[in-house]
Amino acid sequence: MDKKITPLSKLFLLIIFFILYAPIFFLVIFSFNSGDTMYDFKGFSLDWYRELFQDTRLLIIVLNTIVVALLSALISTIIGVLGALAIHQAKKRQTKNSLLSLNNVLIVSPDVIIGASFLILFTMAGIKLGFYSVLLSHIAFSIPIVVLMVLPKLMEMSPTLIDAARDLGASRWNVLTKVIIPFITPGIFAGFFMALTYSFDDFAVTFFVTGNGFSTLSVEIYSLARRGISLNINALSALLFLFTTLLVVIYYFITQRNKVNGMGVRKR
Amino acid sequence: MNKLVRFFLMIAIASAVLLYAISSLNTSQGYSGANTLTIYNWGDYIDEDLIKQFEKETGIKVIYETFDSNEAMLTKIEQGGTTYDIAIPSEYMIDKMRHEDLLIPLDHSKLPNLKNIDKRFMDLPFDKENKYSVPYFWGTVGIVYNPKMLHGKKITSWNDLWDPSLRNEILLIDGAREVIGMGLNSLGYSLNDTKKAHLIEAKEKLDTLTPNVKAIVGDEIKMLLANEEASVGLVWSGDASEIMSANEDLDYVVPKEGSNLWFDNMVIPKTAKNIEGAHKFINFMLDPKVAAKNTEYVGYSTPNKQALKHMPKEIVEDERFYPSPELTEKLEVYKNLGKKNLAYYNELFLQFKMHRK
Repeated sequence: MDKKITPLSKLFLLIIFFILYAPIFFLVIFSFNSGDTMYDFKGFSLDWYRELFQDTRLLIIVLNTIVVALLSALISTIIGVLGALAIHQAKKRQTKNSLLSLNNVLIVSPDVIIGASFLILFTMAGIKLGFYSVLLSHIAFSIPIVVLMVLPKLMEMSPTLIDAARDLGASRWNVLTKVIIPFITPGIFAGFFMALTYSFDDFAVTFFVTGNGFSTLSVEIYSLARRGISLNINALSALLFLFTTLLVVIYYFITQRNKVNGMGVRKR
Repeated sequence: MNKLVRFFLMIAIASAVLLYAISSLNTSQGYSGANTLTIYNWGDYIDEDLIKQFEKETGIKVIYETFDSNEAMLTKIEQGGTTYDIAIPSEYMIDKMRHEDLLIPLDHSKLPNLKNIDKRFMDLPFDKENKYSVPYFWGTVGIVYNPKMLHGKKITSWNDLWDPSLRNEILLIDGAREVIGMGLNSLGYSLNDTKKAHLIEAKEKLDTLTPNVKAIVGDEIKMLLANEEASVGLVWSGDASEIMSANEDLDYVVPKEGSNLWFDNMVIPKTAKNIEGAHKFINFMLDPKVAAKNTEYVGYSTPNKQALKHMPKEIVEDERFYPSPELTEKLEVYKNLGKKNLAYYNELFLQFKMHRK
């Protein structure tokens, strides 16, 4: 990190960030518009936020979205960590590589295909479309991401660490809970938050598997947008932007704390 | 490890609390009872106050869901796994759904308000005797134009589009039946014409239009016209009213030779659980006062004759959206031409698109 940052690269960075954030700020600013179009700003008002909180249907959809994101991230993290451990334990190099490739195929395959195949699967299995179908599919597409976030940490871990623990009389369970898991915790958190954001903004898969009155934000906003966007969508997006920023801050503090506590094995 | 477990427990508790909140919100809205009705409609295509009114009058709770295209709706219903009691597709899709046995026949004795519908909109080719569907809204295909940019020149006929002064000024919607239909209409043929000679004649006439065509586009046509990127556009009347509310300089006309008449209709799909409630809802929507209120909110044209009496004069007398009887005589509903003819339409449309200026 000794290299000096030249003013030119600073400027470049500034421009990039401006381009990325400008549309979001534009959208947020118009959520305070007292008029009802995006064309001109008539004055400051909180009417759209008031309207938003009175719309129970939209509120239910927001809560649905958050619950699905939290639960699917939680469950997929647990399954994904177990999967990563299994891949790591694989003795033969070939099995390991093929397992990893299978995992990666799921990440690169288009969402539309995943969504369509889930729709076919659920209807063939006779599962009613709704909360559970959405949750299950979100868990499914999040698992490979968690695996990918956790595996590098496992690879990074020196095998001597485990040998030492075994030599000192630790049982397999002790090795797992006291040595391996603490070491890969940053990876687990990273996987969790990645899964959270993936579930949060997924449209294509959810679009196929929602039904029976259950809907998430991305799907709802899409069908609303077809007939022109009302500004309460702006208000909602502004709140969501705030929420995700909060998540990022939380994630930042968690990783910071892990760094301060030192790398590798900790007391507990 | 402990920290991780604690964190995950926290997440689990948070989700449980949220789930509880959702279910109590749902019950407070009354969505969980057995007496519910699930409606599947286009986005923003109903006055939500009417849903509340219906719930109050009948005690049935409504779950309202939206779709964005006929095809998306068809997929959900075809696949099963959903419990939609009412859907509102367009006429060509109803024809298709009927043939695929996805609809439940309506019980007309439970729909006394059906008498309010204008006779012109009943018993149409896509659903003889309205066995499966009841009209919800209707509209036309026509021309949106900007008199200011055309220096006051008026458009009244399809043939006006061939005027050399419109060079590079026309936007077309990307629909084979709409564009070929325009060619057929301008020659005085039927929109459902399947005679090869007529179709080729129409295509050749369209080829001479190419110097005037700026682009063939999809949904973005609304934005392009409202922003005055072009002065003339071939659009559906529903889009037209939207474009005109965004830019008041624009005007809409249904050409005097005639054009297409389209419908969105209420149907009861095979997936329905509450058939009794579905009939109640359809009958409710056919009530003149309800239909009038809904029409004022949505802004499309209502097929409900009695409802017109409850609406402001300037809407009802707007001939652009409620064309005179002489003109409606000339409007045609698309017939299902069958796969072979449709493929020929598509091929001609493709050839037209490839034709060089």
